Amino acid sequence: MALIEIENLCVAYGTPPRQILSNINLSIEEGEFVCLLGQTGCGKSTLLKLVLGAEMPASGRILIDGVEHDQPDRTRGYVPQKYSLFPDKTVLDNITFGPEVAEFNLFTRLSPRYFGRRRQLRLEALSYIRRMGLHEEDAGKYPHQLSGGMQQRVAIAQALITGPRILLMDEAFSALDPGTRKDIQRLIRQLWRDTGITVIFVTHNTQEALDLGSRVLVLAEEMPDRGAEIAMDLLIPQPCHKDQLPKLIDRLEHASGSVREPEEVVMATA
Amino acid sequence: MSFGFQLVHARPSRIRALFLSWLLFTLGLGLYFYSSQRRHHENPEDRVMPTVSQMVHGMTAATLKPAEDDDAALPDNASLRQRFFASMLWTDTVATSRRFLYSILLLIPAVVLGLHMGLFPYVGVFFLRFVLFFDKIIALSVLPILFIAFGIDELSKIMLIVIGVTPTIILDTFNLTRGVPGEQVVKAFTLGASDFDVAYRVVLRQIAPRVLNSIRLNLKAVMLFLFAGEMIASTNGLAYRIALLRRHMGMDVIIPYVLWVALLLFLVDLAMRVVNRKLHPWFQES
Repeated sequence: MALIEIENLCVAYGTPPRQILSNINLSIEEGEFVCLLGQTGCGKSTLLKLVLGAEMPASGRILIDGVEHDQPDRTRGYVPQKYSLFPDKTVLDNITFGPEVAEFNLFTRLSPRYFGRRRQLRLEALSYIRRMGLHEEDAGKYPHQLSGGMQQRVAIAQALITGPRILLMDEAFSALDPGTRKDIQRLIRQLWRDTGITVIFVTHNTQEALDLGSRVLVLAEEMPDRGAEIAMDLLIPQPCHKDQLPKLIDRLEHASGSVREPEEVVMATA
Repeated sequence: MSFGFQLVHARPSRIRALFLSWLLFTLGLGLYFYSSQRRHHENPEDRVMPTVSQMVHGMTAATLKPAEDDDAALPDNASLRQRFFASMLWTDTVATSRRFLYSILLLIPAVVLGLHMGLFPYVGVFFLRFVLFFDKIIALSVLPILFIAFGIDELSKIMLIVIGVTPTIILDTFNLTRGVPGEQVVKAFTLGASDFDVAYRVVLRQIAPRVLNSIRLNLKAVMLFLFAGEMIASTNGLAYRIALLRRHMGMDVIIPYVLWVALLLFLVDLAMRVVNRKLHPWFQES
């Protein structure tokens, strides 16, 4: 059974209802790195939020490991483009927030075990900080004292420390400069290989989708006001040779256009 | 560079800024003392603009002697400390401060309500329209109703402040809560936070410095309603004393009292700013 099953998913907003997503059917296996590609406003982030459980579909259902979830929880980590860190907490407190809310409540904080376990969590958070390519001195800084790239590294550590099965990233690197973006792309790719976590990554950048994903899904609207559908589902050859890239980019960019030809739907296999 | 541009982009030096910022104070004091001297020159019995020596005399009496209507008897050999703590100024300040503190404490439930209204849509729709209406009621216009309903004791004065200030604080907190990015709330849930954690460990902590600022900016309104209550129905307090002295044209004490109230409010404001900065260093720096 696939880790994520999406069945006949439709989403509409507003009065009168405007169709955003139409008849999405999709299976995502454990360990895949799926990039959701499409033009701005085509419903990529909406689909991500549906998988996250932050929004509900008009019809259809999403199963995570065979179970429907109606709200976000620890099975799915989340890294948005902005506001991913709590501004009132230091880097260390941001990273340990997840384990602490899970392990301690108002009463367990009074137990003698609390301080020992908290020390352990802080050591674990420090190891994540190093793993993300940050310095230990950054642990005491507040988010506004970090660069955009550093903030996103902390946000990834914050999401991963709770051990989610799925990591959902919404245009997480869009606001970064090209150099920083490349560095973090390498980092997330490495983390994906090391941990085997399933990643769904929303982007509007075709090159980024090809650099990162083991599979690229293109969302596009076939007919105006009909809602976006999956216009292309492409498995990226691993490793992907450089001479294959221009052709793949052409196909993906064509598919993400507002109108597509039915015969362009491709299922490529590695 | 045009003159207008220079005016907008001017950077006054420290000395100039110091000079300009104190200039109005100095001019005001100078004008007062000049007018006071002239009036006293024309009429030595003038009570409208007391001289410095009259005000010093009046305040010395206020800080070392009990009020005339105070029953507390002091021995003749009472120490300066005993005299001060039995004095009119001290007893009035304590009475007003106590009411002020109760009023500030009553703002805590207002903050909690605003937080829940902003975070939980059903609580929001249940209370919002009512609070918006409540906010439009002119608190002083219900003063007679309060005196009839709660008597002329402390409760009516506190209720006056509740009606006057809490709707503003509730609505401010509500708006601040709504201003917290939705991503933060979703993120907290993905990290395993409960509703309680999201409300008190994520949202409240983020809005706390702004809520404190909102309370700080409403201090004057709190004092305004408190003074209105004290002036109309009270047997002690700073505003009661000012209203009482007005009958005797006691400007030699009224003016120092007004300045004393302004100084107290300024110190409370300063203390709240310092506490806010210490408690929320991330907010001051961002």
